[in-house]
Amino acid sequence: MKLLVVNTLSEQNEAARAAIRELKGMVSDCKVIHTYEMQLKPCVGCNACWLKTPGVCSIQDGYEEILKGYIEYDATVFLAGTALNFVDYRMKNVIDRILPLVTMYIHIVDGQCRHVPRYDRKYQFGLLYFGIADGDYLNQWMDRVALNMGGSSLGAFPIHQAKEVLSCIL
Amino acid sequence: MHLVIISGATRPRGRSNTAKIIDAFQKGYKEGGNTVEVWYLSDRKQWAGAAAAFAEQENILIALPLYVENIPGSLLEFLSCLSPKKEAGTRLAFLIQGGFPEGSQSRCCERYLETLPGQLGCEYGGTLIKGDMFGLGMTDEKSRKKMLEPFVEMGRYFADHGIFDKEKAYSFAAPEYMPKSQVRLFRLIGHFVQRIFMGRLAKQMGCKEALDAKPYEC
Ligand SMILES: Cc1cc2nc3c(=O)[nH]c(=O)nc-3n(C[C@H](O)[C@H](O)[C@H](O)COP(=O)(O)O)c2cc1C
Repeated sequence: MKLLVVNTLSEQNEAARAAIRELKGMVSDCKVIHTYEMQLKPCVGCNACWLKTPGVCSIQDGYEEILKGYIEYDATVFLAGTALNFVDYRMKNVIDRILPLVTMYIHIVDGQCRHVPRYDRKYQFGLLYFGIADGDYLNQWMDRVALNMGGSSLGAFPIHQAKEVLSCIL
Repeated sequence: MHLVIISGATRPRGRSNTAKIIDAFQKGYKEGGNTVEVWYLSDRKQWAGAAAAFAEQENILIALPLYVENIPGSLLEFLSCLSPKKEAGTRLAFLIQGGFPEGSQSRCCERYLETLPGQLGCEYGGTLIKGDMFGLGMTDEKSRKKMLEPFVEMGRYFADHGIFDKEKAYSFAAPEYMPKSQVRLFRLIGHFVQRIFMGRLAKQMGCKEALDAKPYEC
C-alpha cells in the first residue's frame, strides 16, 4: 500500500511528527510532503486547469508535486491545523487547489452534478486534524470532498488517532 | 440601515460572479434609502478596511463562491484574523453562489456557516443560496440581467426583513436536486452540448490539448 501524507502543519509540530511516524509504520511505501514552508497560494479561479492547460494548474508554487502524488499513491492523508471549528486556511487552500484532478465536463450522480474525473482513479482521502474542530462536520465535509473527486473518504480524526484513518483499508 | 458586504471571492472584482451578484443585491437593498459599503478580499489591500468594518458595524453580509463544499481558503484566512466581537448585537448573514445548479450542493457549506457567527461573537442572519452561476460572467448582457434580477429582489427582501428566512432561502435555492425530466434531457444531449460549449471556451483561451487530457498519468 502506497500512502501519500500531505502535512500542512509545521514540520516541528510534535503531534504531526508522531502521526507521521505511526503512519509510516503501517504501510510499505509512504511519501510525506510538507507544505507549511511552501507558502502555497489560494486557487484564483482562473479556469486554466480546465480550459487552457487541462489538468495543469497555472500557479507554479510546488503544488504540482502534490497533484502527481494524488494520482500515484493509493491513498492520501492530510494533516491539518484547525481554525473556527474547521480546518485552517492552509489546509483549505490545499483542497481548493485539487480541481485539476477533474475535468470541466459534468455528469449527474444521484441527482447532483459532478465533474467527470480526469484520471481513472478511486481516490481515498483521510484527514487528521490538530486542535479544536467539529469532528462530525469534518467527516461530512471530507465525504463531500471525496465525492466531488469520484473517490471516498477515509474519515476525519483527531491527530492522536492517526491509526484510525487507515483502519478501514489495511 | 447600513450594510457591510464582504466579498470572499478570490477572482478579481472585474471577473468575479460574486461581485456581479453583490452589485445586483445592493441595488435592491439601497432602494429604500439604505446604504451599503463593499469590501473585496481578492484585493489584499482591502483586508484591513474590511476587518475594521467588521469590528465597527453590526449589519454584515459575507458573499462567497462555493469552493469545494465550503468557503474559499482565502476567506477562511481573513476570518481567522478577526477578533471575535465582545458585545452582542452584530448580525452576520451569508450569500453562497456556486457553479452546480442544485441547492443541495451548498448544504454542507451552509451547515458550517450556521455555526460560524457564534465563533465570531455574532448572531446568525441566515444563508441565501443560489447555484448555476458558473456562466454568469460569460453570458450575454440580456441573459445576465435575467440571472441577476432575483438577487435585486432578494436585496429588497433583506432590506425589509434583516435576515434570510430559512423557508424563503430554501425556495430561492431550488431546485434542491436535478428534476428527473432534466436528468433525462441531460443524459440525452448534455455530453454533446458540453463538448461544443466548453470547446469554444477552451479555444478562446488558447487551449491546445483535449479537455480530458491526463498530463500526469503514470
Ligand atoms: C476552487 C473552486 C472550487 C469550486 N467548488 C465548487 C463546489 O464545490 N460546488 C459548486 O457548485 N461550485 C464550485 N465552484 C464554482 C464556483 O463557485 C462558481 O463558478 C462561482 O460562480 C465563482 O464565483 P467567482 O467568479 O466570484 O469566483 C468552484 C470553483 C472553484 C474555482
